[in-house]
Amino acid sequence: MKQNNFLYTLLKWPITATVFLFTSVLQADPPEIKPWFQQAVLLKSYQQSFDWRTPWEKREIRTQSGMALVVRLPVSVRISVSENGNNNNLYLLTTAEIVSDATLIEVTRKDIRSPFQAKLVLMDYAANLALLQINNSKFWRNLRPVKWTPVKSSTDHEAKDIYSLKIKSQDEWTMESGTIDRMAVGHREVSNAWFPLLRLNGISQSGQGYPLLQDNETAGMILDAGTGEAKAMPAAMLLEFLKHAGSNPYRSLAHRGFIWSRLPQSSTYNHFQIPPEKPGIWISRVLPYGTGSDVLMQGDYLTKLGKWTLSHDGKVEHPDWGISLFDLLFLAHLKVGDSVKLEVIREGKPVVLQTKVSAYEENSRSVPLKIVGTAPRYVIEGGFLFQELTLNYLRIWGANWQTRAPMRLRLFLEQNKAVSIYENNKTDISSTGTKISSEHPPRIVLVSQVIPDPLNIGYQKLSNAVVLQVNGKQIRRLEDVSTAFLSPINNFHRIDFLPGSERLSVILPVAELADANQRIKNNFRIPKLQSL
Amino acid sequence: MNGFRCEFLLKDNPQFRKYFWIILLIECVWLALVSSVPASQNSIEQSVFRITNYQQSPDWKSPWKMKPTSQGQGSGFLIHDNWILTNAHVVSDSRMLLVNKISSPEPFLADVLAIAHDSDLALLKVRDPKFYQDLKPLELGGIPELRSRVRAYGYPVGGKELSRTEGVVSRIEFGTYVHPGIDSHLLIQTDSAINPGNSGGPVTQSGQAIGVAFQSNLRLNDVGYFIPVPLINRFLADIKDGRYDGVPEIGIETSSLINQHYRQYLGLPEDTGGILVERVVPHSSADGVLLIGDVLTKIEDLQIDAAGMVRYSEQQVTFFIEAENRQIGDSLQLQVWRKGKFINLTLTLKAPPFGSEMRNSYDELPEYVIFGGLVFIALNRNYIHSPGNITPPLAYEHWYREIERPRTRHEQVVIVTRVLPSPVNSGYTNLHNFIVSSLNGKPVRSLAHLEKMLKNMPPETTNVVFGSEWHKIPLVLNFKESLEQHNSVLKRYGIIDGSRIYADKNKDSQ
Repeated sequence: MKQNNFLYTLLKWPITATVFLFTSVLQADPPEIKPWFQQAVLLKSYQQSFDWRTPWEKREIRTQSGMALVVRLPVSVRISVSENGNNNNLYLLTTAEIVSDATLIEVTRKDIRSPFQAKLVLMDYAANLALLQINNSKFWRNLRPVKWTPVKSSTDHEAKDIYSLKIKSQDEWTMESGTIDRMAVGHREVSNAWFPLLRLNGISQSGQGYPLLQDNETAGMILDAGTGEAKAMPAAMLLEFLKHAGSNPYRSLAHRGFIWSRLPQSSTYNHFQIPPEKPGIWISRVLPYGTGSDVLMQGDYLTKLGKWTLSHDGKVEHPDWGISLFDLLFLAHLKVGDSVKLEVIREGKPVVLQTKVSAYEENSRSVPLKIVGTAPRYVIEGGFLFQELTLNYLRIWGANWQTRAPMRLRLFLEQNKAVSIYENNKTDISSTGTKISSEHPPRIVLVSQVIPDPLNIGYQKLSNAVVLQVNGKQIRRLEDVSTAFLSPINNFHRIDFLPGSERLSVILPVAELADANQRIKNNFRIPKLQSL
Repeated sequence: MNGFRCEFLLKDNPQFRKYFWIILLIECVWLALVSSVPASQNSIEQSVFRITNYQQSPDWKSPWKMKPTSQGQGSGFLIHDNWILTNAHVVSDSRMLLVNKISSPEPFLADVLAIAHDSDLALLKVRDPKFYQDLKPLELGGIPELRSRVRAYGYPVGGKELSRTEGVVSRIEFGTYVHPGIDSHLLIQTDSAINPGNSGGPVTQSGQAIGVAFQSNLRLNDVGYFIPVPLINRFLADIKDGRYDGVPEIGIETSSLINQHYRQYLGLPEDTGGILVERVVPHSSADGVLLIGDVLTKIEDLQIDAAGMVRYSEQQVTFFIEAENRQIGDSLQLQVWRKGKFINLTLTLKAPPFGSEMRNSYDELPEYVIFGGLVFIALNRNYIHSPGNITPPLAYEHWYREIERPRTRHEQVVIVTRVLPSPVNSGYTNLHNFIVSSLNGKPVRSLAHLEKMLKNMPPETTNVVFGSEWHKIPLVLNFKESLEQHNSVLKRYGIIDGSRIYADKNKDSQ
């Protein structure tokens, strides 16, 4: 054993050196940097998000840096903006994160020192993509759009090698090398969206909006990078975004229309009358949007999506990426609008469903997920600050909001198993088979705080109380509050809250309300008493 | 010099002569008091003991197991009938109790005679009668005056000898008792140092015990609390029949009527106090007597103000004080403003519903049922407060359901706390905190009910299906395999009993 160790040590270094030399020779030269001077620009954004605790105020300004890539929209795509400073349908593509809630976006070309001001024309926050325009022809001079090429499968060893830019200063642009780890399905929690994403290794110097190069061609855009790992949106999804950038209203990328589970064991198959040998996935919830949402039912056992057979863990034999989660089919094989057949076992019987591939939709839920670029909505009456419950509101409890925000409010968000308030003011756990209406899901309206005033003495401890009724009228969205305040009962306004709140009802006198509102507005320097 | 001056003054100044005698009298009384204080103190000190508790609490994650034994130190003092009064938390989950007298190395074995977890009080008795020789029990006093001086005795950590500290009564009010976790009772705040180990020791004034030191606020300086005598007397009266029934509760939630507009809205007569009833707890004392929207204006002969306070001793405390000094079964006279009229009502006091689930549990081994390697328990405060268990679904079932949807909470909330991996449950091994709503389509009311349903399952049953309102996918096990593998699962994980259910706790389910 000892002798073996000695032999290993003796041979270890020469073997390592040989492998290193061999791989160095095999590794292709880095892509040329110069063409990127015309295809990518530096971006700096000044962001100021809204303060959801004091919704008429904004938070501190923060800055972010990254890149934007010059892109050309297809000729057919027209975005209705005043002027874009060029006649070639050129725009800048970057991430939504870097430009959301921006007060100023500056982009700088490699060869021109002074920055140009960019304007956000389209943002898909769920996909983390944004499109910018610059109304200055000087900026667009000699710029060329990026040529996108689909990512080559990483099953090919050489295709694993990738590059991205590394910007040390405006003058010093170099390349950084890395490898593709895999094509994965990324879950963007702030939007609850699943999209195909490339996972990269070795990329740590590049950042948001940087190009991803494979075989000297642009195969994607980095969404975020750090500590040797990065995520990138593959070119196929970017092209899809650009193709539909002009749609009115904008529609997002192709997306699944359901949440699924793997059936745990044979007794479960037996219970659902599904042959255990039949591969497939169990639909645990149907989303209000996305592929299959119009035809699937909770409890369906999905066995085939188009021509692809699903395995017990939701995987298909992907033509390019091998055995992968079925969401990767949205890369190239299933496009929004395509007809697709879904084969399911429903109540023990095989059923074939016909549907069309459809896209992600934002905020078609009772507790909207992260809202960007829009001021918080609120209504103030008698010092009572009414707001709708959103993910933004929950996040005012900081990074640990999932443990620090009030438990009852978190419950409304809990894996969409929200305990919701239904018609007759009682609460119910949303029934399993019910599909949430995507058109007007009821919102949770809160009195988030009571702004102190002589009128509301005795009520000032109230906070984060879910409003059930105002003047006997059911409150299902913020607009209902304003409407209900138009109908007082016997010269009083009455607000009723969800049991468990600090108090369950408050009374405000009609006669004194207008004066109190004005007093509160002046005293607390609130620009307006409602923002809807 | 002074003697001469006194003589002179006495001789020539009749007025001074008169005052001299008064001063002399005061001085004599003072001397008598001074000489009596050491004796009194001495007897108090002799009657304050160090209590060592070797305790062992159950492991709620693996309810058939016990946690390692630990040792705790507290204090106690002798009252009448050779009883030692202390805190419940000093003697909870006890396996062996030792009592030491002042400056004595000799430990005496003691037993718990009665324990009141809701008011954090307990009575002990030392087995050896020798222990009581030459000891004088402390008399129980009353409610001290605000700002009056008090003295706390006990055995706080950091030493073995008796500690004596002094302070003043700084506040008398209702507050949360940490030991049960949810109960609020009258407590007295003092700036006399009360540290861990002081618990159970007497707080005295004029040679009488006026309370039992029991908790402090670690976030504040010089804030200690003691349990006042009325609550101690209530405890002693409660156990007279040999059983502790608990502190009754009215069972309502109220909101203040400080806001004048709300009072106008209700049409309350001017200068009428009163507090608004906003929730009547199902199955409580108030259920069927008080109504939501009533304004509670009077309790017994005490007027309730708009913040819900009544006059008590020198200050205002919450009206609940009138219930807490009574026994379960006692009646309480109320006056309410209902639909524009004053109405007199009487309610019979009861223990709070779901008290055992809502309070911290002690001195009780957890109930559990194991089936197919799934470990079922009934959700309670101990479990939900264990690390990682305060999840929104459990919180909803434990706290919010009954508040938001009255009378929908089952007798117990049954959950699968963990899975003991075995072939029958493969695929479920990571399952945790699965809330069981039904078994083969029938609602599960309690752990005992679940066990009974499983026992009575027809032999031809193929699958047992545990449904949940919170989990879309039910938990399904093969019935026959679950039975076949039951003993091997228990053996594999070293579990002696497949279930532990207390019959007396689950009368309704039997």
